[in-house]
Amino acid sequence: MNRTEEHSTDRVMYYFRKEKWVLLVVTATGIIYNIGMAAGPWFEGQLVQCLCDIIAKKCRPSYMCRLAAAYVLTILFVQFMRYFKRLYVRRFANNISKNMKMTLYRNLLHQKNSEQEKAGSMMAKIISDADACVEGMRKFTTEIFDTGVVMAAYLAMLLHYDWRLTLLSMLFPPIAYCLAEKLKGVVTKNTAQSRESSARLNEATLERITNAVTYRICGQETNQNAVYEQYLADYEVKAIRAGIWENAMQPIYQVISMMGTVMIIWFGGQNVFGTGWSVWNVAAFTTFFSCYHKLAVKSSKAAKLFNAVQKARVSWTRIRPWLKPVSEEAKTAFLSPAALSVKNVSFAWPGQKPLFSGVTFHAEPGEIIGITGKIACGKSTFGKLFTGELAYEGQISFGTSEFSGKGNRYEACVGYLGHRPELFDDSILENICMGNPGDIRAVLKAVCMDQEVDALPEGANTVIGSRGVRLSGGQQARIALARILYHQKPLMILDDPFSAVDMETEKLIFSSLRLRAKDSIILLISHRLSLFPLMDQVLWMENGTVTVSDHRKLMGQNESYRQLYEAQNVSEKVQEIPEKFRKPSKKEDHGHAFE
Amino acid sequence: MHSNRISQLIFSTIRKNLYLSLLLIAVVTGAVLSALLPPLVLEQIVNRLAAGKKPAFSIAVLYFLITAVSGLLNAAKEILITVFGQKVTHGIRTAMSEKLNRLPASYFMENNPGVTVSRFVNDVNTLENLFTSGIISMAADICRLGSILIVIFTRSTGLGLMLLAASPLLFLMTRIFQKRMLKAQLEGRVAVGRTSQQIPETMQNIRTIRLLQQENYMLKRYGQTIEQGFQAQERSNFYDAVYSPIIISVSALLTGIMMAAAAQSGVMQQFFGMSAGTAAAVIAYVGSFFDPLESIGMEIQNIQSAAAGIRRVREFLEENESKKNFCQKKPDLPQKSKAKSESETGSDEITAVCLSGISFRYKKGEPEILHNFNLTVREGESVILAGRTGAGKSTVIKLIAGLYPPTQGFITVFGRLPETIPETEKRHLFGYVEQQFHRIPGSVGDQVSLLDPQVSHEQVKQALLLTGLWETVSCLPEGIHTPCTEDLFSQGQFQLLSIARAIVLDPGLLLLDEITANLDSATEAQVLTALEAASRNRTVISVSHRLYGREMQPNTRIITL
Repeated sequence: MNRTEEHSTDRVMYYFRKEKWVLLVVTATGIIYNIGMAAGPWFEGQLVQCLCDIIAKKCRPSYMCRLAAAYVLTILFVQFMRYFKRLYVRRFANNISKNMKMTLYRNLLHQKNSEQEKAGSMMAKIISDADACVEGMRKFTTEIFDTGVVMAAYLAMLLHYDWRLTLLSMLFPPIAYCLAEKLKGVVTKNTAQSRESSARLNEATLERITNAVTYRICGQETNQNAVYEQYLADYEVKAIRAGIWENAMQPIYQVISMMGTVMIIWFGGQNVFGTGWSVWNVAAFTTFFSCYHKLAVKSSKAAKLFNAVQKARVSWTRIRPWLKPVSEEAKTAFLSPAALSVKNVSFAWPGQKPLFSGVTFHAEPGEIIGITGKIACGKSTFGKLFTGELAYEGQISFGTSEFSGKGNRYEACVGYLGHRPELFDDSILENICMGNPGDIRAVLKAVCMDQEVDALPEGANTVIGSRGVRLSGGQQARIALARILYHQKPLMILDDPFSAVDMETEKLIFSSLRLRAKDSIILLISHRLSLFPLMDQVLWMENGTVTVSDHRKLMGQNESYRQLYEAQNVSEKVQEIPEKFRKPSKKEDHGHAFE
Repeated sequence: MHSNRISQLIFSTIRKNLYLSLLLIAVVTGAVLSALLPPLVLEQIVNRLAAGKKPAFSIAVLYFLITAVSGLLNAAKEILITVFGQKVTHGIRTAMSEKLNRLPASYFMENNPGVTVSRFVNDVNTLENLFTSGIISMAADICRLGSILIVIFTRSTGLGLMLLAASPLLFLMTRIFQKRMLKAQLEGRVAVGRTSQQIPETMQNIRTIRLLQQENYMLKRYGQTIEQGFQAQERSNFYDAVYSPIIISVSALLTGIMMAAAAQSGVMQQFFGMSAGTAAAVIAYVGSFFDPLESIGMEIQNIQSAAAGIRRVREFLEENESKKNFCQKKPDLPQKSKAKSESETGSDEITAVCLSGISFRYKKGEPEILHNFNLTVREGESVILAGRTGAGKSTVIKLIAGLYPPTQGFITVFGRLPETIPETEKRHLFGYVEQQFHRIPGSVGDQVSLLDPQVSHEQVKQALLLTGLWETVSCLPEGIHTPCTEDLFSQGQFQLLSIARAIVLDPGLLLLDEITANLDSATEAQVLTALEAASRNRTVISVSHRLYGREMQPNTRIITL
């Protein structure tokens, strides 16, 4: 076994090989148990024969006691083996399931640029595919013994007793099997239709309930229930049809297989009578009969094995791309504060003209830079350039390291907060710290959340629900901001973090940003300009060009900027800027917008 | 009436399908009885052989025919149970969908749609199990067990007594095992649920995870839930693995004792004595005696888990209905006419909306969001509601739309109480642009019409023209019949659809809730233009800070809450 194969998590054999000890136990106990299975019918035949002989006074009752004891002990041993086999087959499946899911998740974590929720629901499907794979692998392993070995054992025994009768009676199970094969298409088609109908019904249910308020506002509830009723009726028909094909055929296959019993009773009877192909006693007859019965039942279920394996194969091809071996990357230490330099940067979506070009500016640690512009000017896209998800032209460098260079780790210096707060269904504490030790009070205070969190029944240990639904939009945004502040990075991109926060709170948070992030560079993207007089620099984006300036100059020189600012601050008088909002700046020409 | 709602629904299904129900009973009985026969025929055959006689060909055929009939009856039983179960669940789901119409709007706000959907889907499915693998099959299994026991007693009293003594013990063991397994399985399912929740969450938050370098933290977090599922599965595996071997061992033990005893003479002979044929038949019976025992245990479990499902379905069917609130409001009505006349005498203009002395809280014990709030909006007027987050701007809009009844005071819309406006008139009276666009399955045109038979093709076109989306829509491959998917339009364009939906039946009043969609895109200007166009010649009440910078209509008022 070479090294590469040992870690190729996208190979089925990898998983079997990893569980080789478990599989060894399964194989040993499985073979013993399944050969032992033939002992049951044999003993039953002997018991009946022995009773015959006792009644005919051909043997003593004590022989029966010994025979019965042997029978019980043998069955106990066989069943004990069976217990081990069952347990280890299940353990095998459980181990693989764990292994496969961890590999999937590791793959998932190393995905880049997967913002869409679609990808999320697709992944949920992949997980269920993983379950189907494991189930297929388990059934395959189980059935190799339970069907393969046991059927061979039964068949060998039947052939031993009377090979001609065996061949004759064995004509029927294959007929049942062929019919099952022929009808498999119909069964799967109906099952699939029923599943589709059920999926449509579930979707319709979700849709009816999610949009209930919309329907109520528009007076469409009765109409919608009529639509829903159609889904229900369709599901009823499809489910019944699938149920009939699935449940009703099994007894019929068995009936066909059981046709062989006519042969056994007739020719077997002749054997016992002494006029047949072989010479039998009652024991042979009973054993043969019981053995055949078990074989017929088994073979009518064989079709299920192939279905499970087939299903697993389909699932496997779907999840295989997600099972690539992933090497663990070491964390890189955060860079220490440094200057940011953006030189002649431009960006275009594939096949389109540039969204913006020639962006050049320089920022020192501690500066807060406001970025704004009219709608669709590309300010959010500009912010995303710093996350490493988009390819741009030009140069962005932080300190001495160049961003676009190969092997670069944006993770070492960039913190990003986009429109979505990206919260987890966990406690506030976990959402902020993400498993790191530390105190979150300071950051909560910085985002004006400390009192609100204290007021919650469980404080910072309150679980906030999926995507933070138990918090308001403003609270969600502030928790996300607190997280960014907790994991303080030397360069932080905040895309519209205050859109759900009122102006007073916005100002308070801004002042604490100044305090906490005095060595970091913050790029604050916003369409609300009330804080812009306090920024160290302002980037105004319009028609693909970017003007680097500050608030005061833009007010004087840029008509669009002035209009936008005044439109938003129409009701508010220009206020004195309290000293605390200002950056304790070395360069005196910044931050004096309203002097 | 309440506690029996579900049983009433079931009985009405039985009454509606009386012949089906009777046929079901007949087939179940037939299946139970026919399953008893094959070993009896086998007994005859073996006895003949032991006596040195050749079995007749006819008896071989008889054996097969009986097996076949038994198989077919079993198949018929399965089919009928499926049909019956489907009929019942269909009836229950219909009743549940009707219930949706009567629930207050707050229900939909407070309850995660996923949870309600799981009542419709999973909980009703457990009810389906109650029929397909619960009550009916349990009745069949008990009959089977009883009949096998009776036959065994007629053949071998001793074995019958042994079985009678052993079966309660085995049954007890079965139940204990099944309960433990269920517990482990439930724990496992909770863990599985949590892991499958973590996946989409991770996908959504991948940028934060990557930039904060928390991959290992996430892996640890995921690993913990996987481990919980693993442990639960291991526990369940043990019981699963050990159960069947125990049952088979016990049945072998009983067979062994029986045979040993049958061989003895004297007192034993009285209890256990039997012929060789009987022995063969009895061995076959003992083998099949424990199947129904295990099934009954499983069925009890199904019934129990269905009980939890039934409870949740019943809870849903018993949710408070909004009708109750209407009753509480009635005493306010006389006051209403008085206030109305006042407002009418106060000016010659027609009052479009009147809120008088409105107090409102979402739930008892919660702080009031509105207190003694008054607002009269004349026809043709445009009112903008302003104020800090949480001041109740959206609430006012929702109260006017009749989504909630006010805690105190009354509201009239064109002189009528909002909750009493019949469904078909709503869209003629007011249009409501929601905070977010709610896409429904169907075509682009369906988004506007909501499949409402009142809405004509022409009206859909007009609404799209007014919002400025017509051109975009007519460029689509199938025009307004193009299936509307999530990525067909931008956020802003969906907002335009939302506006078209509100105005398609030309209502006199337009309610604009705060648009929460992030409209930082090329279509924001379009949305504002569309809103202006939609507002023309209408009474408008809006919550929107986005209208800043736009020229205000001459008859605009700003109300600060």
